[in-house]
Amino acid sequence: MQSEATNTAERRQRSRFLFWMLAPTILIVLAVVAYPFVYNVVLSFSNMNLYHIRDWKVVGLGQYAAVFAEPNFWKIFGKTVLWTVVNVFFHVAIGVFLAVMLHQKFIKGKSAWRTLLILPWALPQYITALTWRGMFNYEYGAVNLFLGKFLNLSPIEWLTSPTEAFMAAIITNVWLGFPFMMVVALGGLQSIPEELYEAADVDGASAWSKFWNITVPMLRPVLIPAITLGTVWTFNNINVVWLVSNGGEPADQTHILVSYVYKAAFAMYRFGWAAALSLVIFAILFLFTQVFLRQTDATEPAY
Amino acid sequence: MPRILRLFAVLWLAASASACRPDDGPPKDGPVVIGIWHQKDGGERAFFDRQVAAFNREHEGRIRIEPLWRETEELRNLFVIASVGGQGPDLIFGPSDNMSILALTGSVRPVTDVLPDTFLARFDSSGVLGWNGKQWLVADQVGNHLAFVYNKKLLPNVPETWEELLPQLQALTKDTTGDGRPDRYGLTWNYTEPFFFVPFLTGAGGWMMTPDGTPTLDTPQTVEAIRFVLDLRDRYKIIPGESDYNVAETLFKEGRAAAVINGPWAWAGYKDAGIDYGIARIPKMPSGRWSAPVTSSKGYSVNVNVPAWKIPYLRTVLEFLTGPAMQTAMADSLATIPTLPAVLNSPAVTNNPTLQASLSQVEVGRPMPLAPQMRQVWDGMRGPYQSVMSGSVSPEQGARQMQAEVQKRINDTFL
Repeated sequence: MQSEATNTAERRQRSRFLFWMLAPTILIVLAVVAYPFVYNVVLSFSNMNLYHIRDWKVVGLGQYAAVFAEPNFWKIFGKTVLWTVVNVFFHVAIGVFLAVMLHQKFIKGKSAWRTLLILPWALPQYITALTWRGMFNYEYGAVNLFLGKFLNLSPIEWLTSPTEAFMAAIITNVWLGFPFMMVVALGGLQSIPEELYEAADVDGASAWSKFWNITVPMLRPVLIPAITLGTVWTFNNINVVWLVSNGGEPADQTHILVSYVYKAAFAMYRFGWAAALSLVIFAILFLFTQVFLRQTDATEPAY
Repeated sequence: MPRILRLFAVLWLAASASACRPDDGPPKDGPVVIGIWHQKDGGERAFFDRQVAAFNREHEGRIRIEPLWRETEELRNLFVIASVGGQGPDLIFGPSDNMSILALTGSVRPVTDVLPDTFLARFDSSGVLGWNGKQWLVADQVGNHLAFVYNKKLLPNVPETWEELLPQLQALTKDTTGDGRPDRYGLTWNYTEPFFFVPFLTGAGGWMMTPDGTPTLDTPQTVEAIRFVLDLRDRYKIIPGESDYNVAETLFKEGRAAAVINGPWAWAGYKDAGIDYGIARIPKMPSGRWSAPVTSSKGYSVNVNVPAWKIPYLRTVLEFLTGPAMQTAMADSLATIPTLPAVLNSPAVTNNPTLQASLSQVEVGRPMPLAPQMRQVWDGMRGPYQSVMSGSVSPEQGARQMQAEVQKRINDTFL
């Protein structure tokens, strides 16, 4: 009886200790995640806008109806999907390619190459995006000068034509994003047992066959979470698209959903509408993450 | 009570206590800090920083001004958000078309709360601006208008009409390297921004909206103005194929454009870059009307969250920043037009040819509407204007789209 009481007291003391150890984290999560999220949910049901920024009130589902009734919504949603798919595809393709190359024994000066290739990622996005914007200038930009001088091509209106401006933003983001995937893939490659390749060599497997049958499956456990993260980041990456296109130029044709939200909230003061759209974005990404992780068995052990 | 609820309660109390902290007076140690967010750019910013440093030296230990530069749009948006959240700097400096947004959102308090009537009475009508029955802004300059700025070495005189000017600008547009691209243009300006399109719109006889805020952009005058700008680029080929603000600035400062359309905030920078520049009115359009820019004042508004004890300190700062000594120094160094008649009529202004040219441009300008719908007008015009310039829509479609986009934004604002 006494021993049971002692155990209960110990358990209580232990849980109290755990609680106080966790308290700082709980506080931070409540302050920077939970509170803004709940506030955003409330705003999405409100009429908060330029005329009701202080005296706003909850008005129901009107802002959600307005989001789906917005003529640009589906167009921008399509562009966001395109933006995400193209970017993540190139991030992974270039990242894995470079990682595999850097993993080869015959490559000399690996650490120097690695440092060089990580540079785009190490520089602040803001600086890189604005530098690329300068390089895309029609007359004075390095890209058109290169195209004209070395490839004898006509200059491209990178920043004034909608398609080209969107491509310019994608090129910039591909440049910025591949080092992350390269680093992840490099880490994954280190953990693949060398014996597997030696066994494949004994069986006379080609390099391509080894890549598809050993490297790719063994990289899956590290790449699937990285792709999931990359997708969410890219879907919500306002910096690059906003800075390269100077806030959606030309003619608001280069927006992705998150830049459209930013503009609605912070340039047009449509806080209720923007909050509703941001929750729609949250729902899309939440759904994607759940389905993708389940379909790819990403949480299962690799071997 | 469960522990987690107790934790919430403690948190809530702590947050409330911090939010309700009494603002009981100046700090016991150190000076009273007056925060100012502004959008003074280039040479004007350097001048402002020097003036602030001098003030801080003079009031060391008592008052310290802490200025922070922000881009114009960001300045207004962040200030509104900060102010609604009970924060933000004590003063905001910007163009007068911000004023109605700041007043509408309850972000600022009337300047009459801070400055005595005797001080405000010294300004002319452009110096103390009101909206909806209250005065919200005290201006240190009439200085938000565009003008025709020319490099005197390349273009000694600017005629009154575009018709006379165009052959000169064509002659100045030169490809010296023979690569098919001009190395120097006759003219440049930021033609991605509708603010810079307005002189052509007014020159064609058009305008942006009625006094009650209804857009008036789907008109033959807008089409004519768009055609004129396109002609400058595609027919006369005197402006670059692509030119935003930075490109225009670089071209003019490097002598690779003989003229630029820009406002007083940029002129000091041209002097610093070694350009011997002159100011002229933007020429008359074929309609015989002047290409009239919008004119407006720029000045200071007071954050609604400023505590009562700080008002005497703010008064000292505002009297310094908008007073006669400052306005005289600004007129002399920056060629800004004073809002104090005593300075406006002083030799510092009447003997300054740049200022007189600037005043001449203001004479034919059109006052910036102060209605909050201007926000939607600028934003709604921008996209179609850029589409027209990129050739993806015709001038007629551009004008129609401008009207529709502005109207849509006005309607959307009420959602």
